[in-house]
Amino acid sequence: MEAFARRVGWCLLAYAAVAWVPWVTTEYHTHVFTISLYYVVLAVGWNLLAGYTGQFSLAHHTFAGVGAYTSALLVQHTRLPMLVGIVAGAVLATGLGYVLGSLCLRMRAIYLALATWAFAESIRLLVTVEYQITRGDLGLRTSLLFGTPRATPYYYLFLGLALAAALAAWEIVHSRVGVFMRAIRDDEEAAAAMGVDTFKWKRVAFVVSAVFAAVAGGFQGHYIGLLSPAPMKFNEMATIVIMVIVGGLRTFFGPILGAVFVEVLSELLRGWGEIRMVLFALLVIAVARLYPGGLVGMLGLAVQTVRSRSPKSPVGRSTRSAMRSTKP
Amino acid sequence: MALLEVDHVAAGYVEGIDILADIALRVEPGSITGIIGPNGAGKSTLLKTIFGFLHPRRGRILHGGREIQALAPYAIKRLGISYVPQGQNIFPQLTVEENLQLGAWIARHDRAGVASILERAYATFPRLRERRRRRATSLSGGEAKMLSLAKELVNDPVLLLVDEPSAGLAPRIAHLVYDELVAARARGVTLLLIDQNITKAVEISDYLYMIEGGQVRREGPREHFADQLRQIIRDSLLGA
Repeated sequence: MEAFARRVGWCLLAYAAVAWVPWVTTEYHTHVFTISLYYVVLAVGWNLLAGYTGQFSLAHHTFAGVGAYTSALLVQHTRLPMLVGIVAGAVLATGLGYVLGSLCLRMRAIYLALATWAFAESIRLLVTVEYQITRGDLGLRTSLLFGTPRATPYYYLFLGLALAAALAAWEIVHSRVGVFMRAIRDDEEAAAAMGVDTFKWKRVAFVVSAVFAAVAGGFQGHYIGLLSPAPMKFNEMATIVIMVIVGGLRTFFGPILGAVFVEVLSELLRGWGEIRMVLFALLVIAVARLYPGGLVGMLGLAVQTVRSRSPKSPVGRSTRSAMRSTKP
Repeated sequence: MALLEVDHVAAGYVEGIDILADIALRVEPGSITGIIGPNGAGKSTLLKTIFGFLHPRRGRILHGGREIQALAPYAIKRLGISYVPQGQNIFPQLTVEENLQLGAWIARHDRAGVASILERAYATFPRLRERRRRRATSLSGGEAKMLSLAKELVNDPVLLLVDEPSAGLAPRIAHLVYDELVAARARGVTLLLIDQNITKAVEISDYLYMIEGGQVRREGPREHFADQLRQIIRDSLLGA
């Protein structure tokens, strides 16, 4: 319990450490960082499923869309508070995740990816075609959570969400369920031989990651003010995958670093248009080939090199810290 | 009543091909029951069938009189039956301690309970305590085998199914593994052991079955086998 309090303390410290950003940057930059933080939540959620549990789902962005549309429509039609709408989105994502997980998680590797992709495309088409309800490509107006489209309050909201997501992911990975998830990722047959109900825990991971996405999507919808089926395209999923792999798949800080890095880079290269995706693809190949640990792995290596050069610190300590940075 | 009874079971992986043709055997509580036989006799398949990876086409499997042949592995584990497959059944990306925790978490849902189980495991396997924070990949073959065994023994299983405990191990290490199996029996664990090492199997088992072509060819108490060891080894090697 004490350790948990310490981790909450770290999160509060992190919150305070970057709270100054909106004061010193322009509205536009604050917006970019806010969106980065939105992607942190998505990437952390997907890393739980794909990184730690080894289930390569390609429907993560769809759950964000489900959260956003559910909340927007519910609030529009019933005048319920937006937070209720977001919770409703998370509940629907739980149900959908449970059903989709039940259908798909007996499949392995590429079949799971294909099945979840097919699901993602179906939902996107459904949202596009059912324009009487969703307004399709015309776009659905949503109410703004803080009544203003200015980025600053949303920055603080998403900073809180991102830290909460990271904390939740840490707690899950280091809990009983987390050990089961990582065992499944290592060797599913062996996990079953240990008595782990592999199907059940894969489904739990699937539902949890869907809820992460739906909550992030719900809040993001009430920030942007306009929903369209465009972010439910495969591009969006590819972005999440790129973020996690560039940051470091199956590392704790990987998706956090990766999401901010890729989103900021993507804004810097905005003038390049769709060529950006090609650049990111090359980046992913380079990382996968040269630094499978991603940005986090590189940082660990850098720390190790610096430590081993300084004569004061014994070598044993520096290698241990390098190991810790890529763990678990 | 036998702790485990395999009642005329037939099973296989592919439609129409029975690896186990008609197996009947009993495991008495508190004993080590050895299963020997040539390659391809169906020994490993038998353990997989008992543990629920494979469901029998015919026949029943009874645990304490209750039919278990339709259960999934995790449900069988809850009955106190554990399975140590051939080779290294460890999770290389987890630390040694997390590997042991995994075994403990199956049985216990509280951190204190898990911690006390780990403490006992380290008392039995002190070598693992030294390496608790290391990734399991860094273990040697013998240490990995000890870990596979330890993480099944942490929960004091009623029945332990062990497939080829000494395969691929140096004789000195294999010796340590057998010591652990005998020690487990002394603590009241019942074992069903498959072994290619016939001499060793006959030495530590109380009762043995020799299977071949998916059927029991010969059975009896240890003495019955020990007398004709040379003959049995020759038969087994030649698959006669």
